[in-house]
Amino acid sequence: MKMSRSARIALTLYGVLAILFLYLPIISVGFASVSKARYLTFPIKRYATKWYGKAIESSTVQDLLWTSLSVALLVTVISMVVGFFGALAFARYQWRFRGVFQKLILLPIFFPQAVLGLALLLWFNALGIIPTWKTAVVAHLVWISPIATLIIAIRAYSFDPSLEEAARDMGASTWIVMKEITGPLLWPGVVSAGLFAFLLSWGNFPLSLFTTGADSTLPEWLYAKMVSGYSPLVPSVGILSIVTSIVLLLSGVIVMWFIRARSETSNAR
Amino acid sequence: MSPEPILRLEGVSKYFGEFTALDNINLEIDEGEFLTIVGPSGSGKTTLIRILVGIEELSKGKIWLRDKRIEEMPANLRPTCMVFQSLALFPHRSVGENIEFPLKLRKQRPDDRKARAFELLDLLHLPRSFYQKRISECSGGERQRVALARALAFDPEILFFDEPLSALDFRLRKNLEKELKDLHQRTGKTFVYITHSLEEAMVMSDRIAIMRSGHFEQIAVADEIYARPISRFVAEFMGEVNLFSVKGDVSGNLVGTEIDIQTGRVGPDSAMRLGQGASATLMVRPESVHFLSEDSAADFVVGGVLQAEYALGSRTQYKIQADNGDELAVEKLREDRFPGKIGDRVRLGWNAEYAHMIMEE
Amino acid sequence: MGVVLLISFLAPLLVIAVFSVMPQKVFSLLHLPDFSSYKLVFTQGYIKSVVWSFGMALASTVMLFVICWPLAFGMAKVFKGFGLFITIAVVVTLFVSENIRLFGWVLTLMKGGLIEGHLRAWTGLTFEGALYNVPVIVFGLVYAYFPFMLFPLIQGIAMVPDDARQAAADLGASRWQIFYEVDLPLSAPGIVIGSLLSFVLAAGAMAESKLLGGQTVIVIADEIETAFTYGQNWPLGSALSIILILIIGALSIFGINRVNLDLIMGGRRS
Repeated sequence: MKMSRSARIALTLYGVLAILFLYLPIISVGFASVSKARYLTFPIKRYATKWYGKAIESSTVQDLLWTSLSVALLVTVISMVVGFFGALAFARYQWRFRGVFQKLILLPIFFPQAVLGLALLLWFNALGIIPTWKTAVVAHLVWISPIATLIIAIRAYSFDPSLEEAARDMGASTWIVMKEITGPLLWPGVVSAGLFAFLLSWGNFPLSLFTTGADSTLPEWLYAKMVSGYSPLVPSVGILSIVTSIVLLLSGVIVMWFIRARSETSNAR
Repeated sequence: MSPEPILRLEGVSKYFGEFTALDNINLEIDEGEFLTIVGPSGSGKTTLIRILVGIEELSKGKIWLRDKRIEEMPANLRPTCMVFQSLALFPHRSVGENIEFPLKLRKQRPDDRKARAFELLDLLHLPRSFYQKRISECSGGERQRVALARALAFDPEILFFDEPLSALDFRLRKNLEKELKDLHQRTGKTFVYITHSLEEAMVMSDRIAIMRSGHFEQIAVADEIYARPISRFVAEFMGEVNLFSVKGDVSGNLVGTEIDIQTGRVGPDSAMRLGQGASATLMVRPESVHFLSEDSAADFVVGGVLQAEYALGSRTQYKIQADNGDELAVEKLREDRFPGKIGDRVRLGWNAEYAHMIMEE
Repeated sequence: MGVVLLISFLAPLLVIAVFSVMPQKVFSLLHLPDFSSYKLVFTQGYIKSVVWSFGMALASTVMLFVICWPLAFGMAKVFKGFGLFITIAVVVTLFVSENIRLFGWVLTLMKGGLIEGHLRAWTGLTFEGALYNVPVIVFGLVYAYFPFMLFPLIQGIAMVPDDARQAAADLGASRWQIFYEVDLPLSAPGIVIGSLLSFVLAAGAMAESKLLGGQTVIVIADEIETAFTYGQNWPLGSALSIILILIIGALSIFGINRVNLDLIMGGRRS
């Protein structure tokens, strides 16, 4: 569709505005985290990084970081595996209950997370399991592994089924087809699903709230402090959590880039 | 010496629920021949080839490869190989790795694999530098050759083709058709090719099998199918054709309601004739019909009005509205063009040796 | 996979359903069912929370559609590299905990916050902060669920073939007619998924009303949490959850059933 130049510029401006809208609150938190005052008001008069120091030294914050990290790492690994096979069932293989499966997989995503967390809490209670950060892993998985499945499924849809048939036709066993064809072709999808899984688990609050029991994750602590008993550590811990996400995102991108580069050199060999 | 059949099908059927995709197919394929299965889309040819390769399971029937039953054998254990419509080249592997894939599966040594890959690149007129090229960097024609090389590396007993040329432009397709025929002669392998393009089939094949809604309508050499189709379907499928209903009279001579018939017999050696009261379809190809001058005669004569003229390059096609309302097609070489103009009355005629009778129903 | 889903998703729902018919304030399932919780829900004004939740969810969904459409159109059909940039920028915000982002809005909008504070410092004008009212909660919902409307819309609009739009224009359709006759019906799957996602997520949301809205209105998710924590009344909380689940579940199933999943995710029509 041919678009007039002014319409194009207007749309671009609109896009820039939308991004500003999305990032404005994060910028506010950033400013707040370097304010020296204990009780924050804008404009900020004196800047200091002391709250970062305090946050990093605090053993509470260290515990929180450790819990959040353990949950997120476990969720990442499991949802990569589950998502891989789930995506094949979702997108690639024709089987009887595929339609039902596709819809069931979407339901947890559509669900209010707080209610999902509660339901799981009651379920654990009924099973006699005492909630800890490990039960939070299960809760996160109920919501995140369907998302991982969808991400990998998008990748699975884009590849030609005859590739697998051709490999099979040339004598490859089911395992070899998986290893030589399906695996490598889905791999970029699996990596980005893993990245999503980590970051979504890392930032999740509503599911953790009900399912961590006595343990606490970073977002839970932040929420508690925001709602009652404000601490000047909140903005800096918030920023620390964001920085962790960004570092992970970047390393994920680098890993992907590395994988692509490696596959190119192996081709050139 | 009559060649042994390398592949034999007996009563092969395939049902998708209520739908019958293949209906009791019988077929023998000779060792070393180039057989092309032609049919319109939906005729079941793709289903058939997928069953022969082992990707699809049959519902009923038996398949022998030489003297071994293979219908239960999965694709990866069958010594046959297919070039897919999409070519199915692995996008994450280089040209060399694609060609070597079947050799790697057989655990051949890397040096041997590479040597064989180079041989195949030579055979398919691809430069050896292509060995390291990525699939995404290859053009359509180059991909065809890579796919062929990979299939040949497998060294199959039978090489199947699922319309691999359909996505290419006309010129490239014409070239590759001829190359494929040469390759068939050089390798001496059995080729089974499916296509919906009649021309492709005519250029390449030893035998052509015409498929229609799940069964074979006719299997014969190209010339036979063209000149002596056994049904209206085959006649019309194999290009432009003129068809007339005829009957046999008391003495067994032909009578047509539409045409002036001078003879009772039809065919190259006047071998075909109708019984009393029997009906049939008389067929003549457009290039066998002539414009007659007032005083000349022919075995079959029809009058009409010239309606349109189409230039087809080396030939010219004429559309004639016959006196009974039918539309007839006539084709002449460019240098034998008919001198008349649109709207002229014309007399058309052809001789019995170029006519053919289809005894259907 | 199916079994895992059953144990971890469907079974908990069943437990909630059973809890919702237990007598008040019990903590196990070994009681004779009565339906006292539901009676409580309908007599004690909890319905008001349900109405507030769904009302605000509806408002935010409509606003999201209007706000996201032009951007989604730009990203699907107009922008090239810039579109990828926006995609990445939007996805990155998803990775920042929702709480932190909403807290950022508190810092931005409060009296003495980023906006009011700077306004006062530069111009001397002042106002009472923009927090603690219903519109700011809707604003928060729009903010939080922006990506959930945007990405399905992009996907939906990308499914509209360019030649269909060009043909419509060629046949004399105005810009508005193209939108109404071509874009809207052909991108319907994306619109359905996007609206459904933002609506159900907003209806079950809690942090926006608590952090931005203070105690202006109590939303259903908040009532549920209170019933479970301070109220120590699990059956009441379960009954409230079941009402929320039923409405959202019915909407989701209705919506998902209307969409060809293979197609919207880039599969071939087979």
